[in-house]
Amino acid sequence: MIKKSVTKKLKSIVGEKNTILEKEELEAFSIDNVLPEIVLSPDNIEQVSEIMKLASKESLSVIPWGSGTKSDLGNKPDRVDIVISTNNLNRIIEHEASDLVATTQSGISLSSLQKELNKENQFLALDPPHINKDATIGGIIATNDSGPERLRYGTAREFLIGIKVVKADGSIFKGGSKVVKNVAGYDLPKLYVGSLGTLGIIVEATFRLYPVPEYSETYVASFSSLENCHKTILTLLNSNLVLTSLELLNPGLATLISKRNNLDINDSEYCLAIGIKNVEKAVKDQIFAAKKISEQNGGNGLLISGSQEEKLWEDVRNFPWDLVKAESVVCKVGILVTQIPAVLNMVKQLSDENGVEIFVSTRAGNGICIIAIRGEGSSITNALNDMRDFISTFGGSLVIQEASTEIKEQFDIWGDIGSGLGIMKRIKSNFDPDNILNPGRYI
Amino acid sequence: MTTQHKTNSASWKNKFREKLIEIIGKDGVIHSEDELLAYDCDALTGYRIKPIFVVLPTNAKQISEVIRECYNENIPFVPRGAGTGLSGGALPTDEGIVISLSKMNKILDVDIPNQRVVVEPGVVNLWVTNAVSPYGYYYAPDPSSQIVCTIGGNVAENSGGVHCLKYGVTTNHVLGVEMVMPDGEIIEIGGKALDYPGYDLTGLVVGSEGLLGIVTKVTLKIIKKPEAVKTLFASYDNVEDAGASVSGITARGVIPAGMEIMDSFCIKSVEETIGAGYPIDAGAILLVELDGPLAEVEAQLPIVEEVLKENNAIQIKIAKNAKERDLLWKGRKSAFPAMGRISSDYYVQDGVIPRSKLAEVLGEIGELSKKYGLRVANVFHAGDGNLHPLVLYDASKKGDLDKTLELAGEILKVCVDKGGSITGEHGVGHDKKRFLSLMFSDNDLDAMNLIRCAFDNKGLCNPGKLFPTPRTCVEPGMKKFEEHPVQKAGMGEMY
Repeated sequence: MIKKSVTKKLKSIVGEKNTILEKEELEAFSIDNVLPEIVLSPDNIEQVSEIMKLASKESLSVIPWGSGTKSDLGNKPDRVDIVISTNNLNRIIEHEASDLVATTQSGISLSSLQKELNKENQFLALDPPHINKDATIGGIIATNDSGPERLRYGTAREFLIGIKVVKADGSIFKGGSKVVKNVAGYDLPKLYVGSLGTLGIIVEATFRLYPVPEYSETYVASFSSLENCHKTILTLLNSNLVLTSLELLNPGLATLISKRNNLDINDSEYCLAIGIKNVEKAVKDQIFAAKKISEQNGGNGLLISGSQEEKLWEDVRNFPWDLVKAESVVCKVGILVTQIPAVLNMVKQLSDENGVEIFVSTRAGNGICIIAIRGEGSSITNALNDMRDFISTFGGSLVIQEASTEIKEQFDIWGDIGSGLGIMKRIKSNFDPDNILNPGRYI
Repeated sequence: MTTQHKTNSASWKNKFREKLIEIIGKDGVIHSEDELLAYDCDALTGYRIKPIFVVLPTNAKQISEVIRECYNENIPFVPRGAGTGLSGGALPTDEGIVISLSKMNKILDVDIPNQRVVVEPGVVNLWVTNAVSPYGYYYAPDPSSQIVCTIGGNVAENSGGVHCLKYGVTTNHVLGVEMVMPDGEIIEIGGKALDYPGYDLTGLVVGSEGLLGIVTKVTLKIIKKPEAVKTLFASYDNVEDAGASVSGITARGVIPAGMEIMDSFCIKSVEETIGAGYPIDAGAILLVELDGPLAEVEAQLPIVEEVLKENNAIQIKIAKNAKERDLLWKGRKSAFPAMGRISSDYYVQDGVIPRSKLAEVLGEIGELSKKYGLRVANVFHAGDGNLHPLVLYDASKKGDLDKTLELAGEILKVCVDKGGSITGEHGVGHDKKRFLSLMFSDNDLDAMNLIRCAFDNKGLCNPGKLFPTPRTCVEPGMKKFEEHPVQKAGMGEMY
């Protein structure tokens, strides 16, 4: 319980209009069915700092909140007193087009930021899910979210060059700089990518940008044999083609996406989407070469562009959230490219044996599988256990992205963090000695 | 308040040496005064400190045991690769030992289908590319010392090179490390796959200048050689036009693999030394390398040519073949050594500015050069705004070096004023720690110190580097650090 006097003080920091105390309105900020007592939307960084100073003094737990699209990630929180929404921290501070660099406050949505950058024919090379639901820059950094184009550009760590953070004690610091090449001091921006709000409240970020590619096409191939599909993947990756994205869909997902996008893929076939963005001629030449590689391996293909292509990638990006609803668990698996067939075969076996439906979208060039499992309670946890056991035998990882509170209580969300856990805990306790930031959810 | 004057005691030293020999063997412990001299500095030769011992371990376990001894005895230790660092990152610490990784030089795993190579820290940068080039791959970060510098050193310094505009620096190519922590614990972070759960410790360790522990194994990403490479050369009357060309190229949406500028001083000395075919009377030259799919390179070529012409390029040349390309690059790569021909001594500065400020900053450097009466030659990775002004001086002339260092410092101030950085690839080390506070406030430095303390609460791992002033570690839970009376009185400092 927050003391009445403290509530009053918190309210006075951000003002009435930026404070939520009503139960009905707090519902929108529930995490694993835990409601915060107060939601504050500071107007500026100094207010964030004031809130943290008070929270730290009173030992109140704080959860940073962008637009809440990934609030399911992480363990059930130990306690939630205050939610700090970055909703009002939505300003672009600087876009230096000639330097291909932009600095922005963390609460801006990726879509609004892109709109501004696009005016100069530039963009931030991130294509995570939930763009349509106003996923924010701060949230994307904190959860290290990414999408199919990570094959070409990498994830936030590769282009986040500067950061400003309010620490648990309210002090404000920055790390990195505004130039693309800089080795002065520790690389603190990297620490914050994927830190899930446990090390401070990200309030500003500086990114390196890219020019918007001129033209785009996607070749969609289907394969009746996983082996041939995988051969195609390895050949493409071993060629000097510069692919923007390479996504492998398992038969369940291929069928679903095919129906939504008129791709004519037969049930039980694996589908490979090869996306290339570049100048037009470079796209056409490379798509031609990719098509040839696919055909040599028995792929049956279709070339798409324009709105059909955009729609396909939007579906892939937003999978599974916009596609597979109800009773599903979402997890992310990290393995090596050569291990993809083993994982997909295991998935097939599991769905045959456990009576669960499993949909998989694989970033085939990165070895990242986004997996959605649909089924009854215990069959899901059984499947999860089997999957993690299997994946850990060859050194991969499995992390739950979204699940019901019941499943979260039965299954270790993060899995084995390995021998680095000790130092991670020390970092956490140095940055947040009273453990008030997102307590219990991550490190 | 350094406590280890025990290192002066012969009996303590003998005992400690025996322990080290027990761990590593006789061949692995250097103690003779003559041999120790070879380790008293790195490529920043102006500072020298002789270590008490140098150890040459062959595996992580030995390092762990050595460090445990150091931890127990409060002996500082400094990791060292090939000693090519320019910021004094491998400068020994008073009363400390040096841990040389030169014997840990095996390539452990070459995994072509997954595009990974796992190496020990003493492996030379170029060996990685050599190991994978038969398969059509290469390791992208290519510092100019790549024929001798080691991956461990590259990891510590987050080294760059001439092709990092497009492909990034070391941190963008390191996926995981095994390391020995400053208390001797061996941990593994990251690995061959991506997105492991937990904080991105790999990202933190790369570029930490050897202050967070000793890396004993590194997992690298390799990339496929591009289909096409085109190198353009342009000459100009003045360096400002060359600078404007660089920002003009990126403004048109072209990201070359690399862009390099040299000014007239450099051109002359390079021409006199190796004859790269640069016009000797030019005010500046620019090299632009485009790579990627052939059609992309062909589409970019006319755009780049147009920008060069718009910015008053006098002569534009496109290398017709690999031989011509190599010659153009050879000129750039020999810029530093060639400088020796026009000046007996020179100091290499390393600063970064936003690309768009190139022309402006070069003008200011010119002014500073006049003011100090010292010649400054400019050669730099222009694409990412990373300047390497070379301040030419005469070490035999009294006061010249001091003036040089002062001028070099002024240049860094200009960089920071324009929104840049005090170092793009050489690191802070010993040389630049006093400049770090130009970029970072006390709060910023405190946050960095929290990292250091999480890894190294005793401050034994490469101490005295990076931070402008020694900072103490506060135990978690202790909100405020109280100074010891001795410190308050200014009679001692803590490590």
